[in-house]
Amino acid sequence: MKGDAPKAEKCITKFFPPFSGVDQHRLMSSRKESTSTSVAAMASTSGTLDSPVKQIQIEGLVVLKIIKHYQEEGQGSEVVQGVLLGLVVDDRLEITNCFPFPQHTEDDADFDEVQYQMEMMRSLRHVNIDHLHVGWYQSTYYGSFVSRALLDSQFSYQHAIEESVVLIYDPIKTAQGSLSLKAYRLTPKLMEICKEKDFTPEGLKKASIGFENMFEEVPIVIKNSHLISVLMWELEDKSTAADKHELLNLSSSNHLEKSLQLLMDRVDDLNQEIVKYNTYSRNLSKQQQQKHQYIQRRQQENAQRQSRGEPPLPEEDITKLFKPPQAPPRMDTLLIAGQINNYCQNVKEFTSQNLGKLFMAEALQGHN
Amino acid sequence: MSRFFATGSDSESEESLSFEEAPPKASGGNFKQSLLLSDDEEDTKRVVRSAKDKRFEELTNLIKTIRNAMKIRDMAKCLEEFEQLCRAFLKSKNIVDKEGVPSFYIRLLADLEDYLNQLWEDKEGKKKMNKNNAKALSTLRQKIRKYNRDFEAEITSYKENPQESADEEEEKEEDDSEGSSSESERDDEDGVSAKSFLKKKPEGVSEASKFLKSAKESGDESSSSDDDDDGEGWGEDTEESGSESSGDEEGKSKSLATVFLKKTAGPDRPSIKKSEKKKKIQKVRLEEEQLEGEGEEGDGPWEKVKGGVPLLKEKPKMFAKGTEINTAVVVKKLNEILQARGKKGTDRAAQIDLLHALAAISNENNLGQGILVKIKFNIIASLYDYNPNLAAFMKPDMWKKCLDCIDELLDILFENNNIFIGENIAEDSENLAVSEQQPFRVRGCILTLAERMDEEFTKIMQNTDPHSQEYVDNLKDEGRVCGIIDRLLSYMENKGSTEEICRVYLRRIMHTYYKFDYKAHRRSLGLQGETKSEQDQEESEGEDSAVIMDRLCKFIYAKDRTDRIRTCAILCHIYHHALHSRWYQARDLMLMSHLQDNIQHADPPVQILYNRTMVQLGICAFRQGMIKDAHNALLDIQSSGRAKELLGQGLLMRNMQERNAEQEKIEKRRQVPFHMHINLELLECVYLVSAMLLEIPYMAAHEFDARRRMISKQFHHQLRVGERQPLLGPPESMREHVVAASKAMKMGDWRTCHSFIINEKMNSKVWDLFPETQRVREMLVRKIQEESLRTYLFTYSSVYDSISMQTLSEMFELEIPTVHSIISKMIINEELMASLDQPTQTVVMHRTEPTSLQNMALQLAEKLGSLVENNERIFDLKQGVYGGYFNRDQKGGYQQKQSYQRDQKGSYQQKQGGYQRGGYRNQNQGGY
Repeated sequence: MKGDAPKAEKCITKFFPPFSGVDQHRLMSSRKESTSTSVAAMASTSGTLDSPVKQIQIEGLVVLKIIKHYQEEGQGSEVVQGVLLGLVVDDRLEITNCFPFPQHTEDDADFDEVQYQMEMMRSLRHVNIDHLHVGWYQSTYYGSFVSRALLDSQFSYQHAIEESVVLIYDPIKTAQGSLSLKAYRLTPKLMEICKEKDFTPEGLKKASIGFENMFEEVPIVIKNSHLISVLMWELEDKSTAADKHELLNLSSSNHLEKSLQLLMDRVDDLNQEIVKYNTYSRNLSKQQQQKHQYIQRRQQENAQRQSRGEPPLPEEDITKLFKPPQAPPRMDTLLIAGQINNYCQNVKEFTSQNLGKLFMAEALQGHN
Repeated sequence: MSRFFATGSDSESEESLSFEEAPPKASGGNFKQSLLLSDDEEDTKRVVRSAKDKRFEELTNLIKTIRNAMKIRDMAKCLEEFEQLCRAFLKSKNIVDKEGVPSFYIRLLADLEDYLNQLWEDKEGKKKMNKNNAKALSTLRQKIRKYNRDFEAEITSYKENPQESADEEEEKEEDDSEGSSSESERDDEDGVSAKSFLKKKPEGVSEASKFLKSAKESGDESSSSDDDDDGEGWGEDTEESGSESSGDEEGKSKSLATVFLKKTAGPDRPSIKKSEKKKKIQKVRLEEEQLEGEGEEGDGPWEKVKGGVPLLKEKPKMFAKGTEINTAVVVKKLNEILQARGKKGTDRAAQIDLLHALAAISNENNLGQGILVKIKFNIIASLYDYNPNLAAFMKPDMWKKCLDCIDELLDILFENNNIFIGENIAEDSENLAVSEQQPFRVRGCILTLAERMDEEFTKIMQNTDPHSQEYVDNLKDEGRVCGIIDRLLSYMENKGSTEEICRVYLRRIMHTYYKFDYKAHRRSLGLQGETKSEQDQEESEGEDSAVIMDRLCKFIYAKDRTDRIRTCAILCHIYHHALHSRWYQARDLMLMSHLQDNIQHADPPVQILYNRTMVQLGICAFRQGMIKDAHNALLDIQSSGRAKELLGQGLLMRNMQERNAEQEKIEKRRQVPFHMHINLELLECVYLVSAMLLEIPYMAAHEFDARRRMISKQFHHQLRVGERQPLLGPPESMREHVVAASKAMKMGDWRTCHSFIINEKMNSKVWDLFPETQRVREMLVRKIQEESLRTYLFTYSSVYDSISMQTLSEMFELEIPTVHSIISKMIINEELMASLDQPTQTVVMHRTEPTSLQNMALQLAEKLGSLVENNERIFDLKQGVYGGYFNRDQKGGYQQKQSYQRDQKGSYQQKQGGYQRGGYRNQNQGGY
């Protein structure tokens, strides 16, 4: 065991530098000076951003309900979703209740979601529960949630209800011992772009948006009533340490493999996107050249004609002659990049934790 | 006369020739009969007509054709005829000078111009016209404009006063009691001339009036004996209507009286018969004439055949009684009969009968074999002609007749050594008469006929339902076909040229190559047939098909000069080798011929043959246990998914956009008859099983390799289909069996795999189709054991520290030496990271294979590498080729890392380059 641990460490350092290298590389290549990783960036930027919500306060009930919802409905990579209810107090969003969406099955294709939500909220109002719509929640599978669907629905939420957030619940991390619940909002910049539906490279460049500043994370506070807190304290006293063993689980390969698999898929996607973009820019430059040549020829001919005393050729609409190729939408690329970033964070976090555990185990071993 | 026979003038001359030859020896007794048939009599009489008549006649004829062409909008024809008309008009210049421009000519010019202008305006119609016509239209329009300038005055006057000419016409029409427009241009007719009457007949006319007319006229004419006009009428008849099949039976009418009776009886007959009636009238007339001058009628019977070919069939007898039947006469007759060939309305069945009759006559009269051979040739040819459509197949009974004929012909040829036949013998250098010194010389090619017969056989087979008794019956005739080809072959070997021999050899080969030689097979198995009946033994006396193939093919290789025959022969030879499991010969021949390189330039039937050969080769390799060769040979055919089509064994369902009806017909004609088919299920099974034996160990070995290539796409496709199945029942189809077996093999479970591949279902579906079933099955079991062992080692080596070969040999029921050799091979090929421990007979694993996580990381690294490259390309585009210093730096560093990792993996070959490159870059960096 003593020999094993350093070997494992070596192993990891041996195999993982490519990630950081590539990561770095990409950062540099996209000329972004930011070296800080995204979570930190998000956390730090969220404070400065002019956002109506600076903090989220969640009732313990909501958390339990979400967890229970996933436990009961979601299996494997399936995703569960639901509606958050609550209210805004100053710059703080309080989420006091939630209800789940039913799982989609094939035989109720004509299920009316809006109708269901309205019904649900009306019923809740009848029993005097908070019924203001303040966002939605979704479970995630190994941290993969940055998708077009999420973007679209969060956009429509934020468009309709300004303060709405999306809560991402990671059941796998939670199962490993630490509750993982994160609240995200779209940044105002991204909102702008989504409003204009301008996903061309130029549009994104103008908005100076990168994958790092698409979403902002809002800090979460879980708040329970005092009575519950008291109960918790009492329960904690009674519980034994054995219940927390999963925190110390040393196995890593399964989780890492899954993450890597997902990461690879994303990288493949990104690769495709890049190839697409590459073709586009090649086509563009080719056309530019042609255009240039055409103009030059035109000028030469005109010059000749002038020297011969003939009238110059009529002006033609060059843009009509050379239609610029359709630029591939870049939003998907951004999302994929964001997702990759997310995976990397996950892997990083996980490996650092696990390394710590391994060292701890080694130390323990040595001590014994 | 010749004017009307402008198209067939040579027949004319022949006819007159026969005249002189024919002996004027006809008795009065048979006269009547022959008389009925003879209506060309008048040809002999020449009547001087005025030059004017003649010229104008010519013009009117041309004009008529032009009008007809106008009616059907055939501009090209119009143009052609118009040019002729101009020339004819020029010829008749001096007459025109005398008489003035005939008004009918002017009428045409005016009408034609109007018509053209009208067409020209009609843009829509012009678009629809085909290119030729459109071109002709514009040329004609220009021409007529220019031409009409000369006649401006006349045309204007005509246009001003079209009434006048119309009146004239009416007059004429009254006379003729016909309203057809075609006559309108005939101005030169003098009253109710017989000529005009005859002319008009072919067009739609009311029957009754015509009859009256004709009756009257016939009376007139018989006295005036205006034979020339009659002749013209006839000429026109034959030219225009070709034949008048329906009215033939009337030719039998014996006397004037009956003729008239018939006519009156059926006044409402369809107009086609009109011409027939006309003829009858003429016949009546002729009768009268001939009664007067009997001297000539002896030759009559021959001529009449020419004029109205279809009449022949009613003839009970070919020749007038008493006619001396000699070679020349028969040849003459033959020619006459043949002249009707290909003409519309000729009754082909009747023609065949006639030819048979002729053959019988010539036989009776002992005219010698030469003429018989010639007639036979023609009979066969007309049998082939019987079907007008090339795509349609002959009726089996017709074909059998043909078969008989060819057989007889061959009999004659074998019996008579002094007959020379050949395509190159010119018609006039033929020698058909019996003479002592000179051999017969007959034009015709027996080989072509036999080839055609063979093709017809194929067509018949293609068009028969392969699952019917009929097919079996038809197939029985194949023996006869082979027999004929064999006889032809021995005949050709003596007489034919090298090329002909090659051709007939190829025919023979084509009938041999696909048949499995059971006799030879049995013999090679050690003469188990000893106890068999005598007949069997007799059968097995015959030459081995392999020997025959060898002899024939080698002759063709040596002598053939057309590439196609040689190619076919090679392919058939390979096929035959492969069919009889002579793998190495087949393979060597295939490789030596270099056919793979240029087969795509061959025509589709040869390509189909090539595909068949490749498939047979693959199946042969499989039987021999050369799994890889089998897979490679079958890959092309199977991966396309169109095996059926490629082998010419059926058409794939495709939408009509991809091929129209025409193409479909062509493709249908290429199909291979059912009895030559290669079993597609067998083919697919062989392919899938070989793919399984190759792919499963490969998959196990390269489980984590990101750039793993599929060996067989089709096999993977089948696997995926199997995976998609929501509920896995026991396998039903052959494919499911293979998929299930593959799954078992993936786990190294050879027993299950074996039971899936070889069981009763699969035996009946596939394996029993092989000639050496048992041997193939044994081979297969062995292969399954070996490959399962390999798969097992690949898959589970990471679980073992060491494994005893004894255990392995027990697990897979293989002998220890085999296990030893397999493992050694794997170690040498660096597929298995292990070493053999000799004293303990164990395999010690080195455990250098990366774990799955490490593999994953490697894959990711590779993917990221390509990502970086792609990214760099964008940079190159944006900033020129030198995309910034740091890029290169990183790339170099990255690649170094990569190559390092690869080294670890233990496969050096391809990765070395990467390593060197990394090093190179590193050195370069120092220089920056």
